[in-house]
Amino acid sequence: MARLPVTAEKIIEQFGPHLNFAPQEGYIGRDEPDKVVETHCCFCGMQCGIKLLVKNNKVVGFDPWMEFPFNEGRLCPKGVQRYLQNNHPDRLLEPLQRVEDVGFKPLGWEEAMSKTVAEIKRIQQTYGNDAFAMLSGVSITNEKSYLVGKFARVALKTRNLDYNGRLCMVSAGAGNKKAFGLDRGSNNYEDLKKAEVIMVCGANVSETFPTLTYWIWQARDNGAKLIVVDPRVIPLARTADLHLDIRPGTDSALYGAMLRYMAERDMLDHDFINNHTTGFQQTLDAVKDYSLEWAEQVTGIAKEKIATAAEWWGKAATSFLLHARGIEHHSKGVDNVLGCINLVLATGRIGKPYCGYATITGQGNGQGGREHGHKCDQLPGNRDINNPEHRKYIAGVWGIDETEMPGAGYTAYELIEAIHRGEVKGLISLCFNPLVSLPNNNYVREAFEKLEFYATIDFFLNETARHANIIFPGSLHEEEEGTVTTAEGRVTRIRQAVTPPGQARTDTAIILELAERLGAGNKFSYNSSEDIFNELRVASKGGTADYYGITYEKIEKNMGVFWPCPSIDHPGTPRLWEDRKFATADGKAHFNPVPYKDPGEVTDDEYPVVLTTGRVVSQYLSGTQTRRIGKLVNQYPEPLLEIHPELAAKYGISQRELVKVITRRGEAEFPANIVETIRKDTVFIPYHWPGRKSANQLTPGTLDPISKIPEFKVCACQLVPLRKEAQSPQEAHAYDSV
Amino acid sequence: MTTSYYKTDMEFFVDMQRCIGCKACEAACAECETNGQQSMIHVNYVERAVTIQTTVQVCMHCEDPVCANVCPADAISKDEFGVVHTANTARCIGCSNCVMACPFGVPIKEEKYDMMMKCNMCYDRTSAGKKPMCATVCPSQALYYGTREEMRRMRPNSVPVNTFQFGKLEVKTKVNIMMPAGSTMLKID
Amino acid sequence: MVFYGSRKLQNFDAALIAYLFGTVFALFGIIYRYCVWLQRPPTWMYFKRGWQLLFSKSFLEYAGLSVQKLVRNIAFQRFIYPRGKTRWWGHFLLATGCLMAFSVTIPLTLGWIHFTMNPATSINPADTNYYEAHLFGFKVMEFKLGSWIAFFIFHILNWCSWLVIIGCLLFMRRRLTHAGQIATQTFEGDWLPLILLIGISVTGLGLTYDYEFLKGMTYEFMAVTHAVTVILFLIWIPFGKFFHIIQRPAQIGAHLYKKEGEKRGMAICPHTHKPFTTQMHVDDLKTVTKELGFDFTLEDGSSHLDLSPEGKRSALAKAHLKAREASGKFFG
Repeated sequence: MARLPVTAEKIIEQFGPHLNFAPQEGYIGRDEPDKVVETHCCFCGMQCGIKLLVKNNKVVGFDPWMEFPFNEGRLCPKGVQRYLQNNHPDRLLEPLQRVEDVGFKPLGWEEAMSKTVAEIKRIQQTYGNDAFAMLSGVSITNEKSYLVGKFARVALKTRNLDYNGRLCMVSAGAGNKKAFGLDRGSNNYEDLKKAEVIMVCGANVSETFPTLTYWIWQARDNGAKLIVVDPRVIPLARTADLHLDIRPGTDSALYGAMLRYMAERDMLDHDFINNHTTGFQQTLDAVKDYSLEWAEQVTGIAKEKIATAAEWWGKAATSFLLHARGIEHHSKGVDNVLGCINLVLATGRIGKPYCGYATITGQGNGQGGREHGHKCDQLPGNRDINNPEHRKYIAGVWGIDETEMPGAGYTAYELIEAIHRGEVKGLISLCFNPLVSLPNNNYVREAFEKLEFYATIDFFLNETARHANIIFPGSLHEEEEGTVTTAEGRVTRIRQAVTPPGQARTDTAIILELAERLGAGNKFSYNSSEDIFNELRVASKGGTADYYGITYEKIEKNMGVFWPCPSIDHPGTPRLWEDRKFATADGKAHFNPVPYKDPGEVTDDEYPVVLTTGRVVSQYLSGTQTRRIGKLVNQYPEPLLEIHPELAAKYGISQRELVKVITRRGEAEFPANIVETIRKDTVFIPYHWPGRKSANQLTPGTLDPISKIPEFKVCACQLVPLRKEAQSPQEAHAYDSV
Repeated sequence: MTTSYYKTDMEFFVDMQRCIGCKACEAACAECETNGQQSMIHVNYVERAVTIQTTVQVCMHCEDPVCANVCPADAISKDEFGVVHTANTARCIGCSNCVMACPFGVPIKEEKYDMMMKCNMCYDRTSAGKKPMCATVCPSQALYYGTREEMRRMRPNSVPVNTFQFGKLEVKTKVNIMMPAGSTMLKID
Repeated sequence: MVFYGSRKLQNFDAALIAYLFGTVFALFGIIYRYCVWLQRPPTWMYFKRGWQLLFSKSFLEYAGLSVQKLVRNIAFQRFIYPRGKTRWWGHFLLATGCLMAFSVTIPLTLGWIHFTMNPATSINPADTNYYEAHLFGFKVMEFKLGSWIAFFIFHILNWCSWLVIIGCLLFMRRRLTHAGQIATQTFEGDWLPLILLIGISVTGLGLTYDYEFLKGMTYEFMAVTHAVTVILFLIWIPFGKFFHIIQRPAQIGAHLYKKEGEKRGMAICPHTHKPFTTQMHVDDLKTVTKELGFDFTLEDGSSHLDLSPEGKRSALAKAHLKAREASGKFFG
């Protein structure tokens, strides 16, 4: 019975989202802080260095951290405003429980703990251990990610643990593992500097990773040509040397055609292909029919442009390929990634200075959080939970018998389906807001309503937490020590700036006490985050993501260490594959054939328009944090439907007219923003908002068969103009809509 | 009262074609101690219906500031470093002459204060030898604060230009705009 | 004025002669400075327009508006309130103290006001003494010596001093703690006026203190310092921060100007297609800028000033984009 205890409006009144603005002249004491803490931004995978100003155990401002090498003080608007998540009126300060018709009432820690443990035991005894699942997120530190992985397997003894990285870059992870045997960007961003050609595929860099823009602009100052593949003219694409305005869901056709073009004109690195790769011929065979004309027809990109891209890419001496969610959020996300990797391998431009390839990991700890047992089929060090040797090693580290180690469980979206089927009855979550972030979220909400018990650990009462029976007030990013691994693979230090306010506790303390009460206390005796990290180091030792040689001290001294770092005297590995020894079983890089497939849903007469979703610069993911920061909300106050003037004219839609968008999953209304910067057959809606303003009411739960990532980036929709102007953004109140 | 450490070899350089419209500068400007939570920098879409182009505008700190000239209350002054300061709060009568006459569209009339406010190049930071907030955080470095030499090294194919032609009028500024090599002025018509 | 106001100097208090010279000097300074100020084209434009509008057919409306603004903005300085609560309190106390003190001291100095003992009551020692206040030589009120009114009136300058001191202290605290203020303040522009005001107030209070408790031991010192600070203050009015007291009423003119302009019609920006200021303002600015030697006329005959601020920024960005595109390269 995890329905809302009272109306959402009533819950919002008490718990927000409310908008936090700094006082007119800044917080008092900002210019004379008690301490200045060098840490990182809590948002995207860039993990920009930032200094937080602390006064009276509250974060009162920020200062640029000029010395941190990746960003040298540069920040995006989210980074600048990040300090306002601290000191926030919505901050959860005490454990809460759901009370029917009343809402959420405080209860003591003792009761919250004992009730939760009793429910876990009841559900597991009644329905089996796997009927209690855990969902986690990767905006948390490596230590916590590791701890969650161990907690689920050792204390909860469930196989059903997964995380929100499943909606992030798992397609890239799977593709990288298939091709290189290891899941990490092959290069750090230093290698962008002098790349001759940079191809950015499905990555809205300037809005989702703004600080990465600097590195691309630097390369362009040095003469680099920039190719941007995106259905919209994103800020990065406006001045790009080549913009490939691709029809959503057709990416692999583009890469296939480029590969064929390059092969026909012999722009390949045969030495590299022959000596260091496998599977090239099959891969080439798979694209033998992918002519430029065919590709033009499928992707909607003029064939001359595809040819130019292939020419530039084929002939370059150095290059860097970047991709992100734009090609990964597909039912063939892994295919798209492999298509990109094939282009990189065919030219042999990897493992050398200024020759790079990387996915741009989205979440704060999207990289580190996916390496140490946070995934349903994974153990620390990016080990395989189905591999007997891996199981044995980790069982040894954890002090359990290998037979006690659960097997692989459901992935995040499959877990929702399992709840629907009644297989999973109880859930505990941390740092995850699936009611906003998962596709087809009406279906997701129904699942949460079916749960017999749901507990959550969070610092704000987000949209999903409203369905919880017990809420534990956890910790913000700046309230706990730890490490994160950036999109570059650089392990960095997160420092505790303040202690959790009120009765709130650190996430770690909450998990450790739950473990204790579940009878696994002896497996979880740590005195500090560093203790956990030191165990993680051992657990990751010998795995592909090897952290053994990384210590807190070493990170602090070097402002980050790139994994793999197998020994204490190892300097870390900013650039992979310099030795041409890949992490696959045969030591070679693998080409993978990518035959073209249509997306999970294609347009037809009934649903004639392509819908794609994405992000805006001022919001982060499901908005639990950023929809509570006043200026970030005001910067882009409500989701708009971006539509080309020709398509708008076809429906007679005028600027700011309210348009109902209908898909096979649901419908929602958005004001039209008529712009020439989008394809004529495609509309775009950003997804950060909840309730009736959520784009994910419309998106499909179609999953990639390998990575199980949902297809957020393409589906078919109808447009119904409502013949009335939308209310003003202020009236629309999208940030707290229900 | 204040000891000045203003670094005279540091200059401000703007290249609005690098701007990605993220508004980090706008957020950071509000963290500057001299203007409270008001942001003095402007980021706006040039014409959103047809392009994603944004532009970013700081005060150009003119050699002969039009704003100061048209001020009926003598509220705007230029200091020895060439920084044109925001309106003197005691004098400004909120007439908006400067807002409408500035050729770069910089000053802002704060209606609730009945007063004009404008960018003063983060005087609290620059006078202490630091970079202005906006140019520090700008993730695209469309805003750059540093020496001419650094700029020449980083962007060898562009030159800083500080002469602007508005019809018949030539305006010279302290702040530079980066233009293609060989340019000597930017003509606006 | 002094001569007739004091009934041919018979009501003139000779002890205040130094103050009189200070006041007269300040007056001439202010008039001189005001004239120089008015000669500046933008100032003259507002001055001219302000009076034109006030005495136009909308006289009643604008006179009403002026009175409203006078109370709101000049007497209560409400526009400062949104800039900060303490800031407003500081300024309000300081300004009220100063204005009240002016209204007493200037007439006193000029001999327009004087006090006398009621002769009828003063003869008989048993009677309660009555004091009379005279304005321009006419008796306006009478009050008992030792009554609360007497206490209030005789000490009015002390009350003013306290207001000024509290206001100044509030401002000084801001100037010592607020990083933005610290960065931009100057000694002569911001600190000297506060020090001067405190000097005047403290020595003024000192006079009373000395008179009531110290039996005149420090009278000379207090009197001289007080006189020096006051005269400095007076002489400095036209040239320093205090000139804003004289300038401030122009704010009312700006309000009238805006109101009238809105009636006559708004200027529409050719770029944003939105109204941004009054057309009268744009037209006047074209004239004023030309007089000042800035000619914004463009080649096509239109003016750069026809654009709104956003339009101007966009025009610059477009020109820059054109130049970049023409060079074939955005970067490098």
